[in-house]
Amino acid sequence: MSKKKDKAWFALFTVPLLFVFTTVVIIPFIIGIVYSFVKWDGIPANPKVFVGFNNYVQLFQDDRFLASAWNTVEFTVIALIAVNLLGLILSLFVTSKLKVSNAARTMFFMPNLIGGLILGYIWQFIFTDALSYIGDKTGLHSIFFNWLLNPQAALMAMVIVFTWQMAGYTMIIYIAGIQGIPDEMMEAAKVDGANLWHRLTKIVFPLLMPSFTICLFLTLSGAFKIFDVNLSLTKGGPNNATEMFAMNIYNEIFGYSHYGLGQAKAIVFFLVVAAITLTQVIITKKREVQM
Amino acid sequence: MKRSGKILFEILLVIVALAFLSPVYIMLVNSFKNRAELYENALALPSSFSFKYYSQAMDKMNFLTAFGNSLFVTITSVVIVVLLASMTAWMLVRTDNKLSKFIFLTLVATMLIPFQTLMMPLMQVMDWIRHNLHIPMLNTHGGLIYMNVGFHASMAVFLYHGFMKSIPIALEEAATLDGCSKFGVFWRIVFPMLTTITITIAILDVIAMWNDYLLPSLTLADKGLRTIPLSTFYFFGQFTIVWNLAMAGLTLTIIPVVIFYLFSQKYIIKGIAAGAVK
Amino acid sequence: MKKVKKVFGLVTAAALFAAVVGCGSSNNSDSSNSPSASGSAPASASASAPAEKLKKITIFQSKVEIADSLEAAAKKYTEETGNEVEVWGAAGDAYMTQLQAKLTSNQGPSLFSVGAGPEADKFKSYLADMSNEPYAANIAPNMELKEDGKTVGVPYGVEGFGMVYNKKLVDQANMKDADSFIKTLQDLKGKGVNPFSLSQEAYFLIGHIINAPFAAQPDPQAFIEKLNKGEVKMADTKEFQEWAKMMEAIKATSKNPMEVKYDTQMGDFGTGKTAIVNQGNWSYGMLKDFGDMSNDVGMAPFPLGGNDKLAVGVASYWVINSKADADEQKAASAFLNWLLTSETGKNTIVNEWKFIPAMTNIEAADLDPLSKDVFEATKSGQTVPWAFIYFPQGIIVNDLAPAAQEFFLKKDMTGAQFLQKLDAAWAKAAK
Repeated sequence: MSKKKDKAWFALFTVPLLFVFTTVVIIPFIIGIVYSFVKWDGIPANPKVFVGFNNYVQLFQDDRFLASAWNTVEFTVIALIAVNLLGLILSLFVTSKLKVSNAARTMFFMPNLIGGLILGYIWQFIFTDALSYIGDKTGLHSIFFNWLLNPQAALMAMVIVFTWQMAGYTMIIYIAGIQGIPDEMMEAAKVDGANLWHRLTKIVFPLLMPSFTICLFLTLSGAFKIFDVNLSLTKGGPNNATEMFAMNIYNEIFGYSHYGLGQAKAIVFFLVVAAITLTQVIITKKREVQM
Repeated sequence: MKRSGKILFEILLVIVALAFLSPVYIMLVNSFKNRAELYENALALPSSFSFKYYSQAMDKMNFLTAFGNSLFVTITSVVIVVLLASMTAWMLVRTDNKLSKFIFLTLVATMLIPFQTLMMPLMQVMDWIRHNLHIPMLNTHGGLIYMNVGFHASMAVFLYHGFMKSIPIALEEAATLDGCSKFGVFWRIVFPMLTTITITIAILDVIAMWNDYLLPSLTLADKGLRTIPLSTFYFFGQFTIVWNLAMAGLTLTIIPVVIFYLFSQKYIIKGIAAGAVK
Repeated sequence: MKKVKKVFGLVTAAALFAAVVGCGSSNNSDSSNSPSASGSAPASASASAPAEKLKKITIFQSKVEIADSLEAAAKKYTEETGNEVEVWGAAGDAYMTQLQAKLTSNQGPSLFSVGAGPEADKFKSYLADMSNEPYAANIAPNMELKEDGKTVGVPYGVEGFGMVYNKKLVDQANMKDADSFIKTLQDLKGKGVNPFSLSQEAYFLIGHIINAPFAAQPDPQAFIEKLNKGEVKMADTKEFQEWAKMMEAIKATSKNPMEVKYDTQMGDFGTGKTAIVNQGNWSYGMLKDFGDMSNDVGMAPFPLGGNDKLAVGVASYWVINSKADADEQKAASAFLNWLLTSETGKNTIVNEWKFIPAMTNIEAADLDPLSKDVFEATKSGQTVPWAFIYFPQGIIVNDLAPAAQEFFLKKDMTGAQFLQKLDAAWAKAAK
């Protein structure tokens, strides 16, 4: 087949999607980059003043932004571990031949079906009412108190809600991966006398590499961008201790009407995060096993 | 020993699963309480199970219209995403050159952009298209579907890309030798083998689009076009929430996706039962 | 092979169709096909010409609580006049963002709502002049929204806040100044009642209560200007020092407001566990969910420096989008005129929305006890202004609330330290 024809096929298969994607994501993103050099309140009819790198200089002097960036990093690292560990364990459980597997799979996935802001409000009842109720009944006030009033505990509360939501999500991706592993391979290993741990580490995990790549990346991007739960569960409090990056930008753009500064923040954070995560994707992709 | 261990294990699993569902419990019980009762105790069972808040919520939300809108937007968007993303991902996996690497990494990198920073420029672009090309991108379902496809494209490509590798290239080569065009190879050989991941993507995207509030709220305005999450706005004041209607509305919102999930989950399991697809 | 291609073709066609053609094309603000753009807009709304069919308008407003009765009113308007109205909706938190998105993409709306102060300034270029509209003359004195000397907004209604108290538990006579207020709190605490409640929402935690020392300044707006420039400090101002003492007393005697949500606050008050809440007349709507206490509830002024006036103001104004075409502006003005002058419209405002009218041509009707107190105060001029609406934009939620959270969560933080925190937060936000 000729090269030219290959190229035509390539275009035919990819251009429709890329066209939509470009108009919806890339062009707005580029416009956003342009705005990061402008001082503007975000109201179309109001003046836009070109200020060069001024916004970029300003954001590095913004302690609260730097603090929120650090909060986000802290949150992401803990959430990444919690979500993937739980998701993987759950997927191994529900693909094993247990009677309750099916029911459990549905139950674990349930949290994902509830979306949006109201989720945070529901969890507020748990962290305020339910925890203090248990605290009063058991006397264990050092664990069971209103978590949302303590800076560290409030961050953990966000990790819990995020994990609760995302574990089921990663679970079904891990399940899809586990199903890709041929049964014969596992049977053969069993016959050869490999124990469970060996089967996991020598067969399952290496073959799950694509799922790891995907789940790590999805959790990472989800955690970095977290907004809904942040807004409805803690509103960034107490005293800004749980204000994450997306919320900081949102406040800058819509709270203070500093559109350009908000965009500049977004671009800086994007560059940093993209550098880290793309490295992660490239590294884990290299370790994937081709069939 | 081993048998009792297994039963213990199953019990443990059930307990963990139930704990997982505690927020769902809170949602359900409070959809039956009035404000005074909720104030008394948010965790207790309601004093009576009357479905009046459900019928009120349905009434206010204009439920049937909203349901139809949500259904149309979600299904159309997901079908387009799946078709376009699987094709794109296949080409990107099978073409090993700089361009396809660049495209892939661009798609992946953009998943890290918070939507909040894109929304205003996006509105400008859509307005530009509407104004200059006279295509109604705003306040139409078509426009929302178009944007849904754009925003969910990268994750779908990313997922397909990850799983495409487990498909033996030999089969495709054989088919090509048999005279199949690329279209034929893809739709006859490759796509059918992607069933599990296709359903996974469909599940994830259906949920995300079904529950989405922000994007539809920016693009749809007219009452008759509202999706289910949009039509629950009546219950969310700036300082207060009408809890019973909000919880009832949320329950109504998720019932269809629960049904969808149960249904498609069965389909995945069937896939397993049928044994190795290969 | 062929079959696959065919299916694919169909699907692409369907996709393209869906994406390009869409369904429904109500494209309200497209001005290209409106030939009669004449004169300065909005041309006087002439309700006396029923034969003329006006352009369809869109309404977008921030108060979720009135959303469905506004829709009902719009339907009645269509029945009465034959003109079409589409009412949009947004959850309370999302209104500003969505309004900005709609304006950015030139989608309208024709008629929308803004708050006073920086919020109105921000949307200044979208506010049409309504000085010459018939209803503008009916706005109660000093209640209109003005930009550059022109009337650009009609008030929704009057709202007021202060100390909403339970008459069975406290006597207003015992709260006439800071000292007696503090003593009352201590007495109440001794009786096992939670004396005074703020709640965790930014406005209810700090935004409203901090209005008192600002309103006590001879010229609040000038004071805010000076504060923005860093020429004065709250920590050095007498009224703020007294206020801080009162806040210390609240912290020492009452339940931590960080543990209290608006819902629980009203629940505690409605069930007699809390004696005083710092709230407005709007809270009666929630209060009545906890039982009838119409005879036992009243609103008293926050007695900073012996203050005996309630804080009264206008939270939102109706405004007409000046970027809409002339016909649409005219139609929007006609609707507003109908709302503010027709029997159906007036009935909606006072009986459905339960607003305290800020128009001279609308009679207040059937007010709840709290609204009655606010209404009386307004009529007799016993009011102090809402100074907080002139605060720098976003400062209450983003800067003052975190400082207040710190104050209430750190047991050993004094009122003086609190004022320093507030000064620091202000300096940062005013930049």
